[in-house]
Amino acid sequence: MRNPVLVATATVVTLLLTGCGSGSSGQPGEIRLRMIESLTGPERTKLIKSLLADFERANPGVTVELISPPLDSADQKITQILQTKKGLDVLEVRDHTAKSFSNNGWLAELPTTEWAGWPALTELAQKKAVEVGGKAYLIPYGFYQRTLFYRTDFGMTAPPATWQELYEAGKRMTTGDRYGYSFRGGKGGADYAVMMISAYNGDQLNPEKSFYLKDKRTIFSTPEAAQALDLFVKIFKEASPPDSVSWGYPEMVQGFTSGVTGMLIQDPEVIKTVEESGVTAWSTAPIPKGPTGYAYQPVGYAGWGVTSFSEHPAEAVKLVQFLSEAEQSIAFAKGNSLIPISKEAQNDPQFSQGAWKAYLQAQQDPKQVITIRPVDYPGWSQFLVDSDRDVQSLITGKKGTAEVLKAWDAFWVDQAKKVS
Amino acid sequence: MRTFTVRRARFIALCLLPGVVFVVLFTYYPMVRGAVIAFQRYNLFDITATPFVGLENFRAVLAEDRFWTALRNTGTWVAVSLFFQFLLGFGLALLLRRHFRGRGLYQAWVFFPWAMSGFLIGLLWRWMFNGQFGVVNDLLLKAGLIEERIGFLASPGWAMTSVIVANIWYGVTFFAIMIMAALQSVPGELYEAAAVDGASRLRRFWHVTLPHIRPTLALIVLLRIIWILNFPDLIYAMTGGGPAGSTDIVTTFLIQQVIGGDYGRAGAVGLLVLALLLAFSIFYLNATRFEKAR
Repeated sequence: MRNPVLVATATVVTLLLTGCGSGSSGQPGEIRLRMIESLTGPERTKLIKSLLADFERANPGVTVELISPPLDSADQKITQILQTKKGLDVLEVRDHTAKSFSNNGWLAELPTTEWAGWPALTELAQKKAVEVGGKAYLIPYGFYQRTLFYRTDFGMTAPPATWQELYEAGKRMTTGDRYGYSFRGGKGGADYAVMMISAYNGDQLNPEKSFYLKDKRTIFSTPEAAQALDLFVKIFKEASPPDSVSWGYPEMVQGFTSGVTGMLIQDPEVIKTVEESGVTAWSTAPIPKGPTGYAYQPVGYAGWGVTSFSEHPAEAVKLVQFLSEAEQSIAFAKGNSLIPISKEAQNDPQFSQGAWKAYLQAQQDPKQVITIRPVDYPGWSQFLVDSDRDVQSLITGKKGTAEVLKAWDAFWVDQAKKVS
Repeated sequence: MRTFTVRRARFIALCLLPGVVFVVLFTYYPMVRGAVIAFQRYNLFDITATPFVGLENFRAVLAEDRFWTALRNTGTWVAVSLFFQFLLGFGLALLLRRHFRGRGLYQAWVFFPWAMSGFLIGLLWRWMFNGQFGVVNDLLLKAGLIEERIGFLASPGWAMTSVIVANIWYGVTFFAIMIMAALQSVPGELYEAAAVDGASRLRRFWHVTLPHIRPTLALIVLLRIIWILNFPDLIYAMTGGGPAGSTDIVTTFLIQQVIGGDYGRAGAVGLLVLALLLAFSIFYLNATRFEKAR
């Protein structure tokens, strides 16, 4: 019989090694990149994997391992991995995580000058790549911008051009089991309130710091803001399903595709969902405007970045560049219904026809303004949580519009002090 | 018999080592780290500077109405869920104790939900309770019990009821499993003796079954209280604490702090919950011990 102490030691060592060992094993000379995505979905993961396979074919000796955490906790998981500063090379950075990731020194600056793909990016893509800290910490892979989806068979001849018209059309449509508008009262609901308040502030608003006016007051401090929020509540009470107090993204879309609601404001990926749902009489239009003819919305984005602690920075950068080149990025934008980052996409018929036309229309309208949200203020994440809750208090009658606006105004006045 | 030598002690220690290392690494270290964070200004927005700020996080948490609402809701959530889980679980255990054909298979089916993720179950219930397309509304309408659809997760009154119903459904099986195990430990002779003495079914239950399993029951209930309190998954998936905080419990409140990026405050909430549970457990264990001594 062998020495029991020896056996035990061997067991312990094996256990510890398998438990704590990192994934850098493999044949010598082979480079293994680890990449993590955030907005995980089965179709999307499949698409990314096929692009990665193309990359591996083009770069023999390099393999990429993709980690796909479940969507709901993905960003928390990414943050945890980043805190350990180990075992990750390429990652998905979202507009609202870019600032904290770069603040904490987790992202490497990407080269833009000696890369042929850079000039091929649209102006918007180049701008957003360097939006945080003036350095390219990520290359966007596409953009999310909201558009209005409406049913053409629910007695609507033309889409509503203003929020007032949306309210009126919605009210007309609301009868018994059918409602006018897919209201968002759950997670993310405050975003729509802000969209309306912004539109009502008209040309006073400062698009670069979109929670503030040109005279530095907050957008929540004006009488126009109160008008907007009152109408917001009216749209909920008179033109939306009562159940929408708790609606988030899936319920809104389901409401529209199942025929419960006649209007929906959502991101372009819904185009695909609606097309596949069997609804035939529908169309899209730019988002409604305020009384003075302005509409504001931020453009949502996410992109690929490289960690500051990557052991293979050269290959990691190469992978990000590969994914951002015209062929791959257009394939990715098509697969996910995103607004593409490549100039070449303008020649692609898919992005200039049908439901996509509303985006072109919005791009050509100078009063459809793209804004920048104060995502780089320390209180941004907190505001997202708090404001959604305030919206639910507002529409369930627990709080009044004045009270909510006062709180939001105070919050952002305080934030302005913290930043300057 | 072997003697207890130093060599042998070393061997035992070595065998225990992996377990100890794992527990220390994955349970105690995060716990201690979390406790330390509670006294720091630790906002994810910038963790390059995390100074110690004393009790600032605790003060901030205790000053929030939301925390107190969440605390009150936690009371309702735990008490009502526990009461019905216990009652139904006990009933189920008594029923499943009897022998019938296909009992094993039936048990497996009944216990299956317990093995599923709470978050997933929350998502399922979220759709079932949906006011427009939910199956619950559909069934109630078809049965003629209601005339209009109810926005279960949308009205502050119904939302708490809905999440508790889901939680009861989820937790009944736990009680059934545990109580069934306890019931099997009651010696059969006792029933026979009681039956010879002419005790009725009810009396047998009251005087033989209950006293025998009481210590186990006391422990199961305590464990369950702690677990229900620490079980934000279901609520988080169903309502996210809404509408307007009406289904927030302390642990969903904690998650919101984490998502808001303020780990310091989240740590403070965590410690407060820990203190609360500790105080409650001491009280509870003393109370049940007292009962046994009597």
